[in-house]
Amino acid sequence: MGRYVLRRLLQMVPVFIGATLLIFLMVNVMGDPIAGLCGERSCDPATAAQLKKDFGLDKPLWQQYLTYMGNVFTGDFGTAFNGQPVTELMAAAFPVTIRLTIVAILFEIVVGIVLGVVTGLRRGRPVDTSVLVVTLVVIAVPTFVTGLLLQLLLGVEWGWIKPSVSPAATFDELIVPGLVLASVSLAYVTRLTRTSIAENKRADYVRTAVAKGLPRHRVITRHLLRNSLIPVVTFIGADIGALMGGAIVTERIFNIHGVGYQLYQGILRQNTQTVVGFVTVLVLVFLVANLLVDLLYAVLDPRIRYA
Amino acid sequence: MPEQDGAIAATGMGGAMDLAASEATTLERASGGPGGATDTGRPRSLWSDAWRDLRRNPVFLVSALVILFLVLISLWPSAIAPGSPLSCDLAKAQDGPGPGAPFGYDGQGCNVYTRTVYGARTSVTVGVCATLGVALLGSVLGALAGFFGGVWDSVLSRGTDIFFAIPVVLGGLVLLSVVTSNTVWPVIGFMVLLGWPQISRIARGSVITVQQNDYVQAARALGASHSRILLRHIAPNAVAPVIVVATIALGTYIALEATLSYLGVGLKPPSVSWGIDISAASPYVRNAPHALLWPAGALAVTVLAFIMLGDAVRDALDPKLR
Amino acid sequence: MLLEVRDLHVEFRTREGVAKAVNGVSYAVDAGETLAVLGESGSGKSVTAQAVMGILDMPPGRITGGEILFRGQDVLRLKEEERRGLRGTGMAMIFQDALSALNPVLCVGDQLGEMFVVHRGMSKKDARARAVELMDRVRIPAAAQRVRDYPHQFSGGMRQRIMIAMALALEPALIIADEPTTALDVTVQAQVMELLAELRREYRMGLILITHDLGVVADVADRIAVMYAGRIVESAPVYDIYKAPAHPYTRCLLDSIPRLDLKGRELYAIKGLPPSLTHIPPGCAFHPRCPMARDVCRTDVPPVHPVSEERGSACHFWRECLDDRDH
Repeated sequence: MGRYVLRRLLQMVPVFIGATLLIFLMVNVMGDPIAGLCGERSCDPATAAQLKKDFGLDKPLWQQYLTYMGNVFTGDFGTAFNGQPVTELMAAAFPVTIRLTIVAILFEIVVGIVLGVVTGLRRGRPVDTSVLVVTLVVIAVPTFVTGLLLQLLLGVEWGWIKPSVSPAATFDELIVPGLVLASVSLAYVTRLTRTSIAENKRADYVRTAVAKGLPRHRVITRHLLRNSLIPVVTFIGADIGALMGGAIVTERIFNIHGVGYQLYQGILRQNTQTVVGFVTVLVLVFLVANLLVDLLYAVLDPRIRYA
Repeated sequence: MPEQDGAIAATGMGGAMDLAASEATTLERASGGPGGATDTGRPRSLWSDAWRDLRRNPVFLVSALVILFLVLISLWPSAIAPGSPLSCDLAKAQDGPGPGAPFGYDGQGCNVYTRTVYGARTSVTVGVCATLGVALLGSVLGALAGFFGGVWDSVLSRGTDIFFAIPVVLGGLVLLSVVTSNTVWPVIGFMVLLGWPQISRIARGSVITVQQNDYVQAARALGASHSRILLRHIAPNAVAPVIVVATIALGTYIALEATLSYLGVGLKPPSVSWGIDISAASPYVRNAPHALLWPAGALAVTVLAFIMLGDAVRDALDPKLR
Repeated sequence: MLLEVRDLHVEFRTREGVAKAVNGVSYAVDAGETLAVLGESGSGKSVTAQAVMGILDMPPGRITGGEILFRGQDVLRLKEEERRGLRGTGMAMIFQDALSALNPVLCVGDQLGEMFVVHRGMSKKDARARAVELMDRVRIPAAAQRVRDYPHQFSGGMRQRIMIAMALALEPALIIADEPTTALDVTVQAQVMELLAELRREYRMGLILITHDLGVVADVADRIAVMYAGRIVESAPVYDIYKAPAHPYTRCLLDSIPRLDLKGRELYAIKGLPPSLTHIPPGCAFHPRCPMARDVCRTDVPPVHPVSEERGSACHFWRECLDDRDH
């Protein structure tokens, strides 16, 4: 098990470097890094040259990248459009987004798995068919549409919730946004759990468990579930990337001042430091989350541990 | 269950691909040569069986019809929509349905019906081009990695890991926000850039599985060249999972384009896109909900049609259900 | 009589129609006796066993007739809860492929111990100790260390022993072994069969051994029942069958065993294929492939003729078959 962990950690390093390099390249090669620093207009050549020199942009790309990464490791992500260090923006924004994501993940896991188990065991019955239809529709409708519709219905028309979330963004305000964020992933988790359970129900080891005279609930929880949930766990880990993307959309719709909001502001004002900074941290979070999920997978499935 | 290749297991697009991928791996396992003879002695193949099943599947028929309709109005939007999507009259802003405008007018006084119809063209174009690009690039790279193995395989695996590490919407925000061009091509290019790893994974896995079959060994023993083996023996049998994932991917690419346009980094005016329309209509949705609901509905129906098509194709090609 | 199956009928609803998997099967096993049920794939031998255990998939499968008397009681009339009470305690089953039949994510100690925890209310610690004892009994080396290992960490033969241990745990009166050695190498096969025979003797259990391998049967079985297309075509004490079969199908099976003294001659194989269970031929199901088939075989289903007190044969011409010794 220790070797497996080590191997995963080592694999993370080149990927992190590659991904951050890719982001760096995308921003600095494709676009103009100093755009937006002179206000709405583009800078005159003299100022532009001076700015480039100040930011070290006249040096070769690889050197720029190394400088940037060096700064990252000392916690210096540069300055945002309003003069604040990017790290301060992060400190304010991340807790909010984390709360939102927690709500979403809870929905995804609890509701998704329960629905999946119920439909997987009752395949073909009305419950199953209706859940299948609903999940298909949810998957097909993009998150931002669902969000806008729910905001319209629950917030504007019926007044059940506030259409915008306050800057404090407490947990109860984040319930509907969290549900919106989780919706597509929830639908996938339900379907995946359903398929997994339906497949495993026919498996030989389930037949053995029944032949051993075990009561039905024990067969389901101890034998069927543990095996069926393995692919679902993997999926949830991989899905965290989608949650990040969805968080940006959800935050925009409900006006939540989280990471997505800051990122959006950074883009609007063309402040590359903010954008690159936030995205770098998000990529790191994504990699770590995947690592944790891989470890969880090894805990659940002993065949992986000893591979 | 085989060990995961790398620390990252799916595209940032929401594991939608991964779900399709895991369901498509059942196709990998059973991809083989042509089937045996039936009782009547007529030779059957996976493809003729699948086509026969598809023809009888109502889900497939409905979604295929919807898609056909969409393709037709993409090619000839003026056939069913009068006027131009860009000719707007501010005097009519937020008006309800009127003559020639069954869906009403949006905030700029543009004809929502016409814009919705023209929006189909954009979505279908972006979706089809992105999928074709992703499918070609991904299949070629994945197949070569799977076929030759060794160094190529390792390089490809690390490459896909790196691209997987960047969630798609985030990547879109970063890259497209610094792009100044106004056409669809940067968006399509971006989708291909971040989308090929998913298909390459499927293609690689599929090729590796098919390679293990005896008829490939036989072809090698008979001295067939690499390209002959790949094109003639492996490709036809390995292509099924790729087709399934690509069809479902089409739906998600359309949704992705709309999402990016909604966020302001996808297509920009004067391009006509459902995402742009939805984004523009949200501030005044209370006064003129029709300006938001019609494009949103069209988007949902389109994505649904493609995903249902992909589902139907996968069920038809899935040997476990035979 | 420990177990008596009487005229059992089992059907499956499939896409191609109704598959008649079991068509009037009757056999019996007593305590301490070993019955071998022989037949090709699709003969209905496994389905019968699963019906006895009560683990058939009931939506596609249906029991349409017959009785299964275990210790004199018809288990088909029991409520599911009572039936479950018999599984593992009164009757147990060993499956063919131990790798897929064992739960891959639980260690073998847990899977063995589960029997004691659920049926005897033991604590996990005590159950674990009994599991080690069981593993010792089936001769798994270093049982105390290996009890925490997972199924994929054992070899095929050892996994099969673990399956046997699991079946034996509560000392049931009847054990059904469904092709226990088919997935194993020949040498390992012999070891596992030997173990099974020894344990059966020690615990005085009734054993139903389902197999398609005639070679395995000779050492272990007391009686043989040969099945074809869901029916028993011949049943007899083991030596009688090998010496003088009374059914053409049994004769063909014996003839197809390769023999050293017939070196140089072409191997014999029964022509044709076993029938699809949705389209069983009329009359005697074997008639399309039978070397002795006559007109009456195409129309009349042969009943089980009593060849002697202990033998039965479902062939119209069993006498001819019996006399035809130097075939």
